[in-house]
Amino acid sequence: MNIIYTDVLVIGGGLAGLRTAVGVKRRGFNPLILSLIPPKRSHSVAAQGGMQASLGNCNKGQGDNEDVHFADTVKGSDWGCDQIVARMFTHMAPKAIRELANWGVPWSRVTKGDHEVVINGEKKILEEAEAAHGLINSRNFGGTQKWRTCYTSDGTGHTMLYAVSDRVIAENIPVHERKEAIALIHDNGRCYGAVVRDLITGELIAYMARATVIATGGYGRVYGVTTNAVINDGAGIGIALETGVARLANLEAVQFHPTGIVPAGILVTEGCRGDGGLLKDITGYRFMPDYEPQKKELASRDVVSRRMAEHMRAGKGVQSRFGEHLWLDITVLGRAHIEKNLREVQEICESFLGIDPAEKWIPVRPTQHYSMGGVRTDYKGESQWLKGLFSCGEAACWDMHGFNRLGGNSVAETVVSGMLVGEYVADFCATEEGQLTVSTSLAQTFLKREQAKLQAVLDRSTATGAENPVILRKAMEHTMINKVGIFRNGPDLEAAVTELKALLQRSRHIKVGNNHKGTNPELVLAYRIPRMLKIALGIAMGALQRTESRGAHSREDYLERNDQEWLKRTLYSWPEADAEEPTIDYESLDVSKMELPPGSRGYGTDNIVPHPDTATLQDKVNEAQSQGGTRHEIQERIMPFRELLPECYRELNERLS
Amino acid sequence: MKKILFMQPSPWPARLDLIQSISGLLLALFMWFHMLFVSSILIGKDAFWIMARFFEGHFFFSKPYPIIVSILVTIIFTMIVIHAILALRKFPSTWQQYRNFSSHMVAMNHSDTTLWMVQVITGFAMFFLASVHLYEMMMEPELIDPYGSADLVWSGHTWPLLMALLICVEIHGSVGLYRLALKWGWPTFGDMDKTRQTLKRIMWSLIVVLLGLGFLALSTFMRIGKDHASNKGQLYTPSWENKHP
Amino acid sequence: MNRTLKFNIFRHNPRDPNSTPRMENYTLEESSGMTLYMALTLLSEEQAPDLAFDFVCRAGICGSCAMVINGRPGLACRTLTEKLPTKITLMPLPTFELIADLSVNTGKWMRAMSERLETWAHLQEETNINKLEAPMEPGLAEQIYELDRCVECGCCVTACGTARMREDFIGAVGINKIARFHLDPRDTRTNADYYAVLGDDDGVFGCMTLLGCQDVCPKDLPLQTQIAFMRRKMALG
Ligand SMILES: Cc1cc2nc3c(=O)[nH]c(=O)nc-3n(C[C@H](O)[C@H](O)[C@H](O)COP(=O)(O)OP(=O)(O)OC[C@H]3O[C@@H](n4cnc5c(N)ncnc54)[C@H](O)[C@@H]3O)c2cc1C
Ligand code: HEM
Ligand code: HEM
Ligand code: SF4
Ligand code: F3S
Ligand code: FES
Repeated sequence: MNIIYTDVLVIGGGLAGLRTAVGVKRRGFNPLILSLIPPKRSHSVAAQGGMQASLGNCNKGQGDNEDVHFADTVKGSDWGCDQIVARMFTHMAPKAIRELANWGVPWSRVTKGDHEVVINGEKKILEEAEAAHGLINSRNFGGTQKWRTCYTSDGTGHTMLYAVSDRVIAENIPVHERKEAIALIHDNGRCYGAVVRDLITGELIAYMARATVIATGGYGRVYGVTTNAVINDGAGIGIALETGVARLANLEAVQFHPTGIVPAGILVTEGCRGDGGLLKDITGYRFMPDYEPQKKELASRDVVSRRMAEHMRAGKGVQSRFGEHLWLDITVLGRAHIEKNLREVQEICESFLGIDPAEKWIPVRPTQHYSMGGVRTDYKGESQWLKGLFSCGEAACWDMHGFNRLGGNSVAETVVSGMLVGEYVADFCATEEGQLTVSTSLAQTFLKREQAKLQAVLDRSTATGAENPVILRKAMEHTMINKVGIFRNGPDLEAAVTELKALLQRSRHIKVGNNHKGTNPELVLAYRIPRMLKIALGIAMGALQRTESRGAHSREDYLERNDQEWLKRTLYSWPEADAEEPTIDYESLDVSKMELPPGSRGYGTDNIVPHPDTATLQDKVNEAQSQGGTRHEIQERIMPFRELLPECYRELNERLS
Repeated sequence: MKKILFMQPSPWPARLDLIQSISGLLLALFMWFHMLFVSSILIGKDAFWIMARFFEGHFFFSKPYPIIVSILVTIIFTMIVIHAILALRKFPSTWQQYRNFSSHMVAMNHSDTTLWMVQVITGFAMFFLASVHLYEMMMEPELIDPYGSADLVWSGHTWPLLMALLICVEIHGSVGLYRLALKWGWPTFGDMDKTRQTLKRIMWSLIVVLLGLGFLALSTFMRIGKDHASNKGQLYTPSWENKHP
Repeated sequence: MNRTLKFNIFRHNPRDPNSTPRMENYTLEESSGMTLYMALTLLSEEQAPDLAFDFVCRAGICGSCAMVINGRPGLACRTLTEKLPTKITLMPLPTFELIADLSVNTGKWMRAMSERLETWAHLQEETNINKLEAPMEPGLAEQIYELDRCVECGCCVTACGTARMREDFIGAVGINKIARFHLDPRDTRTNADYYAVLGDDDGVFGCMTLLGCQDVCPKDLPLQTQIAFMRRKMALG
């Protein structure tokens, strides 16, 4: 039997996983990273637009600070987030970005003096301060009051991932590539590592660890048409669900990005609109100001996506062979700007559409993009139900995004949560509880169980009446896109739940055409499909039961945001392996412990059923403010969070002004 | 992938690379002069005679010293040997390497890769061809003369050798210079792709012009040699000495 | 108007004792806007479910899907079939360890390259992340980004005749990385330090200026000028 021991097993080689491992290593423990692919190919690499951090260096960023970033994040989340976590996050983001700057990320910098920008379709001149020259620049992104999104041209995620990945190599941290965690090893509410399949040889290996971190990214692939990579299938969080102990949360919170290109579904960055690009309809009319007079193209993503869908429903979409779409016009920015700051976009347009975006409009439509839901954890990134299991990055529902995350807040989350969770994991390893005291027989039991499951699939290769994984996958994608999309309603969701349940049943008789044990793409799909279906079913059921509209979750039959009944997180568990559906319960958000009272987002439609405690909280806030003091002192009075941070990260952030 | 060695790195790889390039460059420049010299026959026998005597120091010492040519030949030959030995390190050294390269070359259909193979082949051929030519020049420098050379070319049957050598050296040298420019980074102003295209165009033009000139000169030698075959061995007297005996 | 594409695909699983290297033929109806990613996905769904290949981002940004397409390496996901003749031959990248069919282990090679060249910023000391970041000239940041855009796809290594002959040759990807750190003021290494990793015939002096790298790099990196630059720095100081 193959068993590998390590202190901390990090499942996932994206930004979140890599940064966590660096933190653990620096604390003197040995991390080991698993990844399906070479870490630099993780989907973090695809983030083009940027990373939010309230540095406030550039002209339009002046006056920015943690408080503004915090308010934007909470509003973006439609009050669905954990405000403590959002506070910790906004406090950490400037540190994260400065750390990355040290590690070599070539952040785009501010140039002093005048420069031309396009705001609201018009050219304007902005002047940058002498003192800001050479400091990290930022651009405009949806749903923010300040220009806060730091970037490297349009390869932000790439430069970040490469810097962090190179740091991992520098720190001599082992990365086991082309390995897939297929089950968590756990016993008695404590997680001890994972059973891992070598994707090259097919061999199963048990990785035993004091702490296990799931950083496996999003689950967009259950939708088929998505901006996500083909490996972002949610199977990573699926193994947490399959423990029956750990819980997932808010799966129904699925973000659609306004500008996926048609038909490939590849993303063109929000930076296009941030830099001044416009959305236009079949007549070439710029429609967003009609819907969102204030933020126009730059309302938060859920809002813009819905407005686009609405506009297309009103018959203003462009019909094409690949379905309906709208236009994104960045020709207004000029060739020079595009070739310098949006080159990746240009490359994508040329390679996949055969057009030059400096001359032609880009066909776009809202496309699945981000998974707010994931493994439910506390602010330390630890599962409240399975000790020793941590999670961070897109895979986690740490919950700083609530029901909608802001553009640029996600790569920021990955590094910030990596920095924090790395510390908390190390703290855990240093405690009594964090020792690895379990016998190898546990590993053997899990290895045998997984081996048997795989063998059963292989054995069915000649069985009649068994199910083809490709057909199941397509059926799932079809259901998800058509019935669990941007706009949702009861009847569709009910149908979706029924269909997905049936598919899940069928997936238990899945077969493969060949019984190779080693490299076998068919087998991989075959064992991932049931996991994907469980996630898909979770999304559909969560969406069906949540009879309100919040953030990205939008019910046509329940238009209002119902704080009174729905200010809560959906929790999913799967206690019985052969159950037909997940067990769903809810965790309420405690309004009295919030800092920002639930209210209007300032964009989208205001249609809120208020929570009864809102007024009490507002009084508390007013009271705290009336006592005066610095903004930090006032904040501390309302919702203290600083002592929850690891000591090394408690200091205040310096800014220019 | 090999492992890192913790040793004081040797300065030699850098030096050898430089020497290879410098020797190539000097040889290529020498070949331009050589072309000017040889093709002076196109202007007339007198012109060639003057050039030949010039190199023998006739006009400095008022008397030819063929030994000067022998020394020059030795220097050039040494340079070729050094250049060739350094280049040899880059040759495919096993059958496997050769196979890998050539199958890659065929599949890629990429001119700069193919041209390298051309350089290897022409270089390899020149090692023999040039040696013969240089040996002759070294042993009998005094025979460098409109008639002497023409006799050697025609009656001495060296013209096939020279023709092969000509083709080899012009292609090898021009491609070499193109590579040299890119290898060390031709000073670019603006678009590198355009610069490279321009360099490539210059390279092809050089090849055409030099080959053309060379063939003309060689055919002239062959014609003179053929006409002079009956008197072979006799050297040329410049026309002005004929007129004013 | 739709063409019928004839695929000729390399098949072999070196870990399967029954497998021998061979080429297999498949035919597929072309559809408009079809990329090799779409074509291979269709093939694997309909005709060859066991065909191994690597796609991750399928958007030309992660560098996973490099393969030899009609003789030249390129990113399959952003190769439109309409730009190819109807006969399409696909081979895995040579010079990398074959996993199976079109899938090769570029990750392993790249990690070894990174370890050998130490492709990370060698910092003098940790700076205080609570304080203002050190300023950097905007133009310099852009220049560094230009070289940082490499996606480690391995196309340049495959396109390089030198790398084909000598497996220890570091390739354009490695030389470009060092050029990137050389430019970066945060990396405190000196020319002598770079020479130690790059200054031999498996490093920059091994490059014979074949320029295949420059011509296939899907990110259009200025490889030729960077190799020349490093050569000058390493040879002339
Ligand atoms: C096209 C696109 C553009 C984006 N642009 C932006 C942007 O501009 N700004 C922003 O803030 N956010 C952006 N995002 C979102 C952001 O990029 C992601 O949310 C974030 O990078 C996720 O990072 P991660 O580390 O959590 O996961 P990932 O980077 O997805 O990494 C997941 C890792 O887990 C590994 N893995 C998965 N399952 C397993 C398993 N079972 N066993 C072992 N390993 C496993 C994978 O190999 C991979 O290494 C964008 C997303 C997309 C899709
Ligand atoms: C006679 C034997 C010769 C051999 C075997 C030979 C071989 C080679 C080879 C293999 C190369 C390529 C080296 C590399 O890629 O690094 C080369 C380069 C070159 N050769 Fe030659 N060559 C010979 C003679 C000549 C002559 C006579 C000239 C002059 C015209 C010449 C000019 C060059 C130049 C300019 C280069 C480029 C230098 C460089 O890349 O550094 N060579 N030679
Ligand atoms: C110092 C050294 C050299 C001297 C003195 C010299 C001299 C001459 C002379 C006198 C000729 C006329 C024909 C003949 O006499 O055979 C000639 C022709 C030629 N030489 Fe050389 N040579 C030298 C070096 C070289 C080298 C190094 C090369 C190539 C590698 C070369 C290539 C040729 C060729 C190709 C021709 C005939 C082409 C033509 O007519 O243009 N020579 N050389
Ligand atoms: S240099 Fe270009 S071809 Fe080489 S690995 Fe990087 S991106 Fe690929
Ligand atoms: S192809 Fe190879 S030889 Fe040099 S110029 Fe590029 S690395
Ligand atoms: S799949 Fe990412 S580059 Fe092709």
